[in-house]
Amino acid sequence: MATSRDDFGIAIRSALLQRGAKQKFSLFVLILLSIVIFVLDTIDLKPVKILRSAINDGVYRVSAITSSPIKASRATKDFFSEHFSVYKENEKLKAELEGFRKKNFNTLYLETENRSLQNIVEFKQKTKYNTVTSKIILDKNSPYLNSVVINKGSNAGILLGMPVLNKGNLIGRIVEVNYTSSRILLLNDLNSRIPVVISPNGSQAILSGSGESMPNLQYLPENFKIGENNLVFTSGKDGIFFSGISVGQAVSDAGTFKVKLFSDPNQINFVNVVLDKYSDLKGF
Amino acid sequence: MALVIKGFQEKIFRLIPLFLLFYICISEFHTQFYYWKIFSFNLQMIIIYYWVLRDPDLIGYGFIFIAGLVNDVILSLPLGISALVYLLVSFVAAYVRNATVRSSLTTDWFTFVIAIFFGNITYYFLIKKYTQIQIEYVFIFYESLFTFILYPAFWGLFEIYKKFINIKTKK
Repeated sequence: MATSRDDFGIAIRSALLQRGAKQKFSLFVLILLSIVIFVLDTIDLKPVKILRSAINDGVYRVSAITSSPIKASRATKDFFSEHFSVYKENEKLKAELEGFRKKNFNTLYLETENRSLQNIVEFKQKTKYNTVTSKIILDKNSPYLNSVVINKGSNAGILLGMPVLNKGNLIGRIVEVNYTSSRILLLNDLNSRIPVVISPNGSQAILSGSGESMPNLQYLPENFKIGENNLVFTSGKDGIFFSGISVGQAVSDAGTFKVKLFSDPNQINFVNVVLDKYSDLKGF
Repeated sequence: MALVIKGFQEKIFRLIPLFLLFYICISEFHTQFYYWKIFSFNLQMIIIYYWVLRDPDLIGYGFIFIAGLVNDVILSLPLGISALVYLLVSFVAAYVRNATVRSSLTTDWFTFVIAIFFGNITYYFLIKKYTQIQIEYVFIFYESLFTFILYPAFWGLFEIYKKFINIKTKK
């Protein structure tokens, strides 16, 4: 009994302390070092934050370069799959165009009516935010965070919490800012919670990421029913996001309400970060 | 000259597992396939466990530590978490190497469960306790499960590669 306990102790000791012929450090020293680094990073000291930000910038750049073969193969695959689906898409678009032509007459009428009503209430229409365009340099999934890294940071005026758009649709918000890079937390991440409003009846809800491609709608009013054209917009109730940014279309999926995002977070190459502060446009 | 080239070739072949580990950590190499809802695995853990157990001279602990730090930066986790987890996996592998006389796929595979268990418990505990990041336990469970299931496949591949290096070195 005592011998087996001794063997166990010896095996553990040699695993922790023994260095092989080509090992420069023992496991014990490196485990201690990892714990020290972890503690320093979590206590949020300013010099550590600056150092971490510099490391992030450097690693993201290297990562963007090393990921280029993967990106190239992905782009080639997309090119071929797009090429083969062009014919199908053309037929579909023709049918859609016919539908839109019919709808156009109605839209023109509504637009004119809307403009005249806006004039009546002296509504100052502001359609454009002040944004900065940036490229996605790193897109790696993990069980912990569903996020992407872009090539603009505090040098371009980006701040924590700023909304990020793709083709005018919301895709996430800034959660990490370095000098030349930033991280966007995507809407489908588990940690993402955004107050939204559902048109046309104006129901309020929280758009909550689930780790899957379609985020969930939570805290909906009782007896809420999905219609054919329930569009989802930001409500601006959190005081961080502007109201009225388009997000997606509400759909029902196996008894739960989800949102099919207008911009698929997995198919994005460029994004626009909204630089305006919420307070700047509060009147809007 | 031929000797120099041969030596260089050997070095390159011996560096490939380390290069693979770093490449997976730093690039967009995906092992999380969420569009299949459940299929994802942790290739870094497999590489570390196999090579520390079977040929520890190929991947040094110092490099494993640095790969962990790089992984933390890329995944936006607090620095040191992945390094600690990878070192714990290395610790289990080093212990199994010291405690067993002859290792086989079966012993490696089943002791790998202990490494996955300790590694992932450390991940959950540190992330849950010290960060605001929310974790979906189901994803982590599936990741652990598929990492375990896929180990023999990678074990086979790495065994072939190990034999290939040994042949090249002996020539």
